[in-house]
Amino acid sequence: MAINAAKLQASLQQFVANASNVQGASIVSPDGLALATSLPGGMDEERVAAMSAAMLSLGERIGRELSRGKIDRILVEGDHGYGILTSCTDDAVLLVLADQGAKLGIINLEIKNVMPELQRQLGGTAQPLSI
Amino acid sequence: MAIEPAVFMEKMVQRVQLADADKALLAAEASWGKDVAPQMADIFYDHLGRDEEMNAILNATEGRVHRLRETFVEWFYEMFTGIDNWGQAYAHSRWKIGLVHVRIGIGSQHVVPAMAVVVNAVRKQLRQDGKSDELSDALGKICMIDLAFIEQAYFEVSSQAVLQETGWTQALFQRLIARGANTM
Repeated sequence: MAINAAKLQASLQQFVANASNVQGASIVSPDGLALATSLPGGMDEERVAAMSAAMLSLGERIGRELSRGKIDRILVEGDHGYGILTSCTDDAVLLVLADQGAKLGIINLEIKNVMPELQRQLGGTAQPLSI
Repeated sequence: MAIEPAVFMEKMVQRVQLADADKALLAAEASWGKDVAPQMADIFYDHLGRDEEMNAILNATEGRVHRLRETFVEWFYEMFTGIDNWGQAYAHSRWKIGLVHVRIGIGSQHVVPAMAVVVNAVRKQLRQDGKSDELSDALGKICMIDLAFIEQAYFEVSSQAVLQETGWTQALFQRLIARGANTM
């Protein structure tokens, strides 16, 4: 199935616009290339893509090494908010940035809700996401 | 192992322009190479022994320097014989030498100066023994090919180790290097 890049971009933008406390999001390939991006101004899209892919991959490797099973998400929590990386399909990773006022439970639900649509557009196998 | 030694060898032969005439010259002087190899080893290890860091590596285990010296003599002679006419066996032998350099912890900054010592020493010996400039050039070329193998081994081992430990793809790793390099 061909990927409609414009539609994917629109879905991501809609997610960022509608989800509470979400500041930005990006879908990236395991090679660190951005597939769709809606990031706050000033962020380097290419660097964010490379770092997101690197982090998810490393997280999966750490998960395996520490016998944590399949990794559902990686959470970065800082003074100014959250960065949440979720495996979207075998060929895509979703990064979501949320501000410090975000409720993690809500954000996780938002991600769970948007995931089937993104997976459908990417033509990947839907992966069950626990929260 | 990400590189195929024989393919890498072929590329290096093209790049340094090691011609059939160079190979013929080297092969014709193989017995001279065998004769001078122990002297070259003496000069080489005398030079390395004067470097504190290298001296520690060379003498880290009992008998290591003796074994390395024997390997040097063999390596030097093989530059003349080409083992299998500078083919697959030669390439694999040079790749293995590169890996050994990485494994025993010889920093890459030691390799070029050390090879320069060999090149200079052998040039002096060639002049002293009345050998041709063509032979000197041919030997210089094969030294550079061997040096390229060692240098490549450092990169390959380092990058493969990172890929293995992180699970990153080769493309992602190269992207991160390129991004990082751009900001330096």
